[in-house]
Amino acid sequence: MANTLRLYLTCIRNTLDAAMCLQNFPCQEVERHNKPEVELKTSPELLLNPVLICRNEAEKCLIETSINSLRISLKVKQADELENILTKKFLRFLSMRAEAFQVLRRKPVQGYDISFLITNYHCEEMQKHKLIDFIIQFMEDIDKEISELKMSVNTRGRLVATEFLKQFI
Amino acid sequence: MAAVEVHRFAQCITCHAWSPDRSMLAFCPNNNEVHIYTLMQSKWEKLHVLQKHDQIISGIDWSARSNKIVTSSHDRNSYVWNLEGSEWVPTLVILRLNRAALCVQWSPKENKFAVGSGAKTVCICYYEQENNWWVSKLIRKRHDSSVTSVAWHPNNILLATASTDGKCRIFSTYIKVVDAKESKTVSSSDAKFGELILQLDLSSSWAFGVRWSPSGNTLAYVGHNSMIYFVDEVGPSPLAQNVAFRDLPLRDVLFLSERLVVGVGFDCNPMVFAADERGIWSFIRFLGERRITSSGPKYGSQLSGAFRTLYGQPKHGLSNDTNDHSRPQGTVHENCINCIVPLGTSGSSKVMRFSTSGLDGKVVVWDLENQADLSEYF
Repeated sequence: MANTLRLYLTCIRNTLDAAMCLQNFPCQEVERHNKPEVELKTSPELLLNPVLICRNEAEKCLIETSINSLRISLKVKQADELENILTKKFLRFLSMRAEAFQVLRRKPVQGYDISFLITNYHCEEMQKHKLIDFIIQFMEDIDKEISELKMSVNTRGRLVATEFLKQFI
Repeated sequence: MAAVEVHRFAQCITCHAWSPDRSMLAFCPNNNEVHIYTLMQSKWEKLHVLQKHDQIISGIDWSARSNKIVTSSHDRNSYVWNLEGSEWVPTLVILRLNRAALCVQWSPKENKFAVGSGAKTVCICYYEQENNWWVSKLIRKRHDSSVTSVAWHPNNILLATASTDGKCRIFSTYIKVVDAKESKTVSSSDAKFGELILQLDLSSSWAFGVRWSPSGNTLAYVGHNSMIYFVDEVGPSPLAQNVAFRDLPLRDVLFLSERLVVGVGFDCNPMVFAADERGIWSFIRFLGERRITSSGPKYGSQLSGAFRTLYGQPKHGLSNDTNDHSRPQGTVHENCINCIVPLGTSGSSKVMRFSTSGLDGKVVVWDLENQADLSEYF
């Protein structure tokens, strides 16, 4: 793993460790409701300052925290158009299956490629350090996955072209 | 080891309380029930299940002398449970709240109890003999956000509250019909009900867990910015001390003596704070030892497992051999501790034993009898 990526991920890991201090907190505005405050944003005093961690212009991570929920939004590196379209399709594919991932948000926050929403219920059911490991692992894998996809698209393109051009020999 | 008893009762415990003789334990397993367990032949047996609330229970307090349980819940109600024969009989308390109740505590004389709520108010409830019900009086308009914790001063009049607006406030809760027959010596008894005695604006973030010292001279509360605040000489010119620590924030505190405080919270390990001879508070140490587990089990690739099922083919490039995992906890509690209850003997201002419960569903009893380095603070 590249050294800068390691630093970036360590920084995110430490920030998440500090930010993931969530508790059950009922809504102050609506009777008998209990909703993630980071999504509703009805009471400004229940939100903490968002943290933006940037590796470079193309890769960044926004961590927004509230008293009972935490939102992590990722922007994945997209060097060219092919990577752009692959990322878009792939992350959309994952977002469509958000239930399977539990902490995945169905729609990314504007300006980002994919978002996670962690509530106090997730922290009650799952161990905190494993949740953080999952996010970090996801970020590590997503880069690998995209470049692998890109490679296979290129290989396939080359193969198809070769096969197609064979008939003219 | 300071933890003398560890028992896992449920998936998750929101709060717990002990019976006056410490033989029974009441806790809420993160739902709308209160379970009461007792120790029978060195085994914990479920005795009662109190079902009346319809949302998660946020606070339980068991009165030491009158043997009554008061519960508060997110369903905006509170019940006082009284043991009649072998049955716990609930009495509904009309709190007149329109938001969730978040915390509850009996007053030292047990003739009142206080409920903090998400409606930015505090209810002081007392029993009205004529009508045979609990009446609630509200302290309105002072809090700018939810009241997360309440604490009674030993004089039965002053009430400290912590709120998510970051402030700690002290109110007079003098209720004529209840407190008039009590002693008149208290200096603050001239203050009317609901009068704000003091507002402490020390924390820049949410305040939780407020407690008075046994004598009532010192007040401690915690902020979500990993700070703990100690206030001496509560009155017109209070003396405040802020102690910052490097670990995750605390949720609740407990005075063991005038000079010793234990804080519990997101770090899953109780922290000990103590005051030296000059009254300067500082962080002493963690109470539980951190067992260093060399390398955790290979849980790693939840995601690659997910990829695998999504793709329907094994992926080999995803194994996480070079992954630095978060530090394994290795403490007695494995998740946030959110409740700490003293297990002192009545009549003594020292608390050598206390119990903690957390989101990992464990109740742990701690004993400081053999902690030589802490004995000087008792």
